Amino acid sequence: MERTERPLRADEATSLRAFLDYHRDTFRMKCSGLTQEQLAQPLAPSDMTLGGMMKHLAIVDQSWFEDDFLSRGFMPPFDTVDWDADPDWEWRTAKDDTPEQLLALFDEAVRRSDAVLDEALAADGVGLDGLSLEKAPDGRGRFSLRWILLHMIEEYARHNGHADLIRESIDGQTGQ
Amino acid sequence: MLSPYVASVAAMTPFATAEARIDPPLLADELATLRGYLDFHRDTLRWKTAGLDQQQLATPHPPSTMTLGGIMKHLALVEDHWFSVILLGNEQAEQWRDVDWEGDPDWEWRTAADDTPEQQLALFDEACAASDRCLEQAVAADTGLATPSVKESRRDKSAFSVRWILVHMIEEYARHNGHADLIREAVDGQTGE
Repeated sequence: MERTERPLRADEATSLRAFLDYHRDTFRMKCSGLTQEQLAQPLAPSDMTLGGMMKHLAIVDQSWFEDDFLSRGFMPPFDTVDWDADPDWEWRTAKDDTPEQLLALFDEAVRRSDAVLDEALAADGVGLDGLSLEKAPDGRGRFSLRWILLHMIEEYARHNGHADLIRESIDGQTGQ
Repeated sequence: MLSPYVASVAAMTPFATAEARIDPPLLADELATLRGYLDFHRDTLRWKTAGLDQQQLATPHPPSTMTLGGIMKHLALVEDHWFSVILLGNEQAEQWRDVDWEGDPDWEWRTAADDTPEQQLALFDEACAASDRCLEQAVAADTGLATPSVKESRRDKSAFSVRWILVHMIEEYARHNGHADLIREAVDGQTGE
């Protein structure tokens, strides 16, 4: 697959969205061509798996844009999980999903987030200084859309770092 | 309407713990936000490499050959490359200039094992401080974050904006901090975001 290009001299919003898409695409590449069993294989001593990460990034992506920013709640199936009792639900249950199911969930989360971004960054939207409807739980206040976009870039990039080492341990595949 | 957040210029102060890191500001202008994220990730790498001896810093997590010391020396080189060589068109900093990069392209990864933890941290801190001076010089122009780099991309035949370089450095650090997470856990069991 072709990864999204990161334009060298674009405006702020275009640049941030391109870097985010580049990392979403990188993550799809790191998870592609593997079986359900391979997606459930950790690199000990860490217990992270590529499948768990895919399900984790789906909820993280969707919830920052739809829930934190717009207060619309979690998408299915995350909306009915008892998170207090099972805080690692998405990591734990990913092994029960097929690669196709995991990718479909991930793509749906990205689609929802992109719809939020399209609306917020339209000519009459709130823009990158727009603030989240939900507040930070530690009393720091609301998140700017700029902060959320950069946080998503670092979140994906960090997990892609994990994915690099896990993928290499599964089938030897490496690459940026 | 923007908070008067002043980006932390703490490059000479090693942040050895997770708690000592400064969270990027939730509502600030573009430059302060980008610098906040970059400093956060530099400090995260300092934390991930803190408290280890020379041998631990040279321990890989197979099958990958990357090491924590190698990552730190690599990022010191990457700092100089992007903020000084590409952005301002300077020569490579003195410590990299005499390396035969064509004959030994992984030199910084390979030779990190010969440096003490103190040498590795000093090299890294110095590189970050030098980058901050380059960055401040570049964004002082009227064009701010849209200021073009002196050197162009060989592939695209175009200059990079300061904006692109800053976001790239954030993703570069974050990705390597992901590697550092798993390597550190394998070295002594320490975890954490």
